[in-house]
Amino acid sequence: MKDVIIQLVTAFLGSLGFTLLFGLRRRYLFAASLGGVLAWGVYLAVEAWMKQGFLACLIAAAFAVLYAELLARKLKTPATLFVIPAIVPLVPGSSLYYAMSSAVQGDLISARSYGTQTLVYALAIAAGISLVTAIRQLKTKKQ
Amino acid sequence: MKLTKRQQSDLLDCMLEMGDLLLDSGAEVSRVEDTLTRMGKAYGAGRMDVFVITSIIIMTMEFAEGEGITETRRIHTTGQTDFYRLEKLNSLSRQCCEKPLLLPELRAQLDRISSGHKPFFMLFWGSVLVGGSFAIFFGGTLWDGLAAAVFAAVICLLQEWLGRTQINTAAFNLLISLVVGLCVGLVTGLIPALHMDKILIGDIMLLIPGLAMTNAVRNMLVGNTISGAVRLAETLIWAGALAGGFMVALLIVQAVH
Repeated sequence: MKDVIIQLVTAFLGSLGFTLLFGLRRRYLFAASLGGVLAWGVYLAVEAWMKQGFLACLIAAAFAVLYAELLARKLKTPATLFVIPAIVPLVPGSSLYYAMSSAVQGDLISARSYGTQTLVYALAIAAGISLVTAIRQLKTKKQ
Repeated sequence: MKLTKRQQSDLLDCMLEMGDLLLDSGAEVSRVEDTLTRMGKAYGAGRMDVFVITSIIIMTMEFAEGEGITETRRIHTTGQTDFYRLEKLNSLSRQCCEKPLLLPELRAQLDRISSGHKPFFMLFWGSVLVGGSFAIFFGGTLWDGLAAAVFAAVICLLQEWLGRTQINTAAFNLLISLVVGLCVGLVTGLIPALHMDKILIGDIMLLIPGLAMTNAVRNMLVGNTISGAVRLAETLIWAGALAGGFMVALLIVQAVH
């Protein structure tokens, strides 16, 4: 439980870092960073329930985009402003690193398994985002 | 609004500038196409054909039947994501779609936006926060987080310094990851309580083009195949350079230990 709390807090701070890095306006900072915490929360919940990282990542990414779209609609800003900070905690930085360090240590089996994991998670994020985008496009009529 | 020939080409130029700025601030290709199309129609074009990839914008506006004007703009810089600008450009285009601005006014607004940047302190503290937080997020101790934050500050300063040179993104990633990898290796060698992997992971989150990559794949999945593929190739090269730098640094650190 302690780990979960640490992760949620640092997810918030990390997302906040990205909003600063990208120069988001001050009054959106909190809402945007909250997206990161919520997305990670969804990931953890789905992962604990289904024991399935890929699906958890996909659902969390879809959730993040939904959150961003709703927020953007309310505030009349582009959704990208909120998508990026919300997705950030899902980015598989750690498996990418371990893939590299295993490769350097000559442990090609681990390198391959971490590498595959990195790709699969990246794909899950992209699929999650696209799912929501596709559904949204269904609802907008041709111009 | 009825425009003369001269004004039409002026408008086209302004809109290319707008597209350029949007791309430079990290807007997605589909958004740029969409924004330019809407704006063109608001200014009275009957038909708009806009094609955008990250390195070029091609735009044809047709004001009357058979009278199209076309211009292209080669995009050389894909800058860092800048929400500050993105939001201003967005509200400018919204404004134009509701009630088109006069051309000199539009030009002035664009100039104002292009000269404004997000402040450096945001960049700096953002980097520090990202590096530090993600080192802890991925299982590091508080001390790892602090160390990662310090290195993130170094990365930010390096980025600022190298950003003024002509260096391209791939070479830049290679250099930065090599330098950071060596520094972290040195420090963790001196202070064994720190974990090299956690610190580096925190700082990788700062450098990784994961979002650009995700956007690229997403572009391909929603039908912008060409721009998605171009972007994906770019980000894979960047990620490769990043990995290459870190791997060389890790090899050197390993050889020294």
